[in-house]
Amino acid sequence: MPDKISFGKTFYALEKAISIAQKRNAVITSNISNLDTPGYKSKDINFKSELARALETNHKTDLERTDPRHISMQMNGDQMIEPYEEQGEWNGYNWADIDSEMTKLTENNLVYRTAVEALLRKMNLLKEVIREGGR
Amino acid sequence: MNFLKSLETSASGLYAQRKRMDIIASNLANIETTRTEKGGPYRRKMVVMRTKEVDQDFDEMFNSSVKGVQIEDIVEDQTPFKKVYNPSHPDADSDGYLHKPNVDLIVETTNMLMAKRAFEANIAAIKATRQMVIKALEIGR
Repeated sequence: MPDKISFGKTFYALEKAISIAQKRNAVITSNISNLDTPGYKSKDINFKSELARALETNHKTDLERTDPRHISMQMNGDQMIEPYEEQGEWNGYNWADIDSEMTKLTENNLVYRTAVEALLRKMNLLKEVIREGGR
Repeated sequence: MNFLKSLETSASGLYAQRKRMDIIASNLANIETTRTEKGGPYRRKMVVMRTKEVDQDFDEMFNSSVKGVQIEDIVEDQTPFKKVYNPSHPDADSDGYLHKPNVDLIVETTNMLMAKRAFEANIAAIKATRQMVIKALEIGR
């Protein structure tokens, strides 16, 4: 987790959002490649609730540290993200649907890019402060 | 890196769909074939797909739910052959009927379109993943 004083919660939240979106991309990609697998059930990750969970655990479950150099539990703190099986419609072959997968793919792609863009702008603000502060 | 898994998954989808196209092409090419190595007319072939583990290491529980795809088997369609009355054909039976492959042009064309769309869907997924990687590389610039 980034240092709280100079970065605040935004960085942590964005980092989590990016990581969840990345995993969701993997899950959706898997659904798309299995569109023709008989009996396949498509899976998904609930972005909102996973993000909420990540932000919650952030404040509660970090280890007590006596030295800042000790390894934090949050360092590799990707909590287990468990994809759930979707309540799809049986199409006589499996439970996967190309249209909903493509929609999710596009939506997730946008979420990801928005998060990265927000991170970039936040960093630009910091850069600005560093540059202008010395004058 | 998780993106590599996404790409690998999509690649397996592309491969499976291409193989499916190969089989469809084979069916279409043999739509009139009455002689095969096994004897008898050509039987229509179909692919059976199956999920595939993208990577073997168990570094994360998460990975187990991301699956690629593979062609598990190529099976033959057991529906009866088409019978056409054509007594002059050398392969016609004693009643003058010729057994032709159970390949239906409409079915194959439809399957071909579906394979094409599925292939394109995987391409779109690769493009989306690519955009995400490029965007991620912008962090810290």
